[in-house]
Amino acid sequence: MLRHVTNRILGQGLRLPATSAAVGGSGLPRMYHERVVDHYNHPRNVGSFDKNDEDVGTGLVGAPACGDVMKLQIKVDDDTGKIVDACFKTFGCGSAIASSSLATEWVKGKKMEEVLTIKNTEIAKHLSLPPVKLHCSMLAEDAIKAAVKDYEDKHSK
Amino acid sequence: MDHLGTRKQETKSSGLLAVYSEEDSSVLPEEKYHRLANSTIHDLLEKLEEYGDSVEIDGFDVDYGNEVLTLKLGSLGTYVINKQTPNRQIWMSSPVSGPARFDWDQTAQAWIYRRTKGDLVKVLETELEQLCGKSINLSST
Repeated sequence: MLRHVTNRILGQGLRLPATSAAVGGSGLPRMYHERVVDHYNHPRNVGSFDKNDEDVGTGLVGAPACGDVMKLQIKVDDDTGKIVDACFKTFGCGSAIASSSLATEWVKGKKMEEVLTIKNTEIAKHLSLPPVKLHCSMLAEDAIKAAVKDYEDKHSK
Repeated sequence: MDHLGTRKQETKSSGLLAVYSEEDSSVLPEEKYHRLANSTIHDLLEKLEEYGDSVEIDGFDVDYGNEVLTLKLGSLGTYVINKQTPNRQIWMSSPVSGPARFDWDQTAQAWIYRRTKGDLVKVLETELEQLCGKSINLSST
């Protein structure tokens, strides 16, 4: 039944958040991939760490005027350099939310050097993002990089 | 000088939490931005329409609506080129190179993607030739 409801939502393109104001629609119904809908309905790791914590790296990217702001945070084990926890808060369209939610899933358990290799193309492919939404996946990649950089800046003193 | 100074302040206090680190809003005045961006996009539109008439691509379509230029190349993919006014940028989504954000470079008199130093027009020319097998000149005379 859940699948049936999801299919209906996908088919109608209704009940989903308005797409980013940055790009005007061409009048076509916006079809969100199942995975995007899933992340939107069940976002992983929504939340906030204390950005002043020694083991926290905070990446904040985007601008409200553009319609997309992502805050992605990582909690790092200093000894191993591994990301033990991650959370995010995103203001934006369904694709932006899904991209950052996915990013928090992908960084957990990985070393910081490793997550720097996560490419926006992989995120976009996993979520089947349409051309106009590739920018969201890029923002998520940038958020990861910004979070790692923030952690490293804190520890470079 | 004052005008520019004011604009800089406006940009900084408009609630920007953290813009892309390398892609701060330029101080390009908005009217000038619109003129430049519109001119570039309209120019591309015309040339792409002509190009479409000269290549045999199934599903070739150029559409311009709501200030968004959509170039469909059938199974080869879709380009979306649009203005991003708050950042004074032109954004492009390419089936070849993914997303890119171009700023007006006064010196180069071109739209440049800071990360790759790519020129919007030249990137399109190269990619389209690669994709469609026929060269295209998108540069203004």
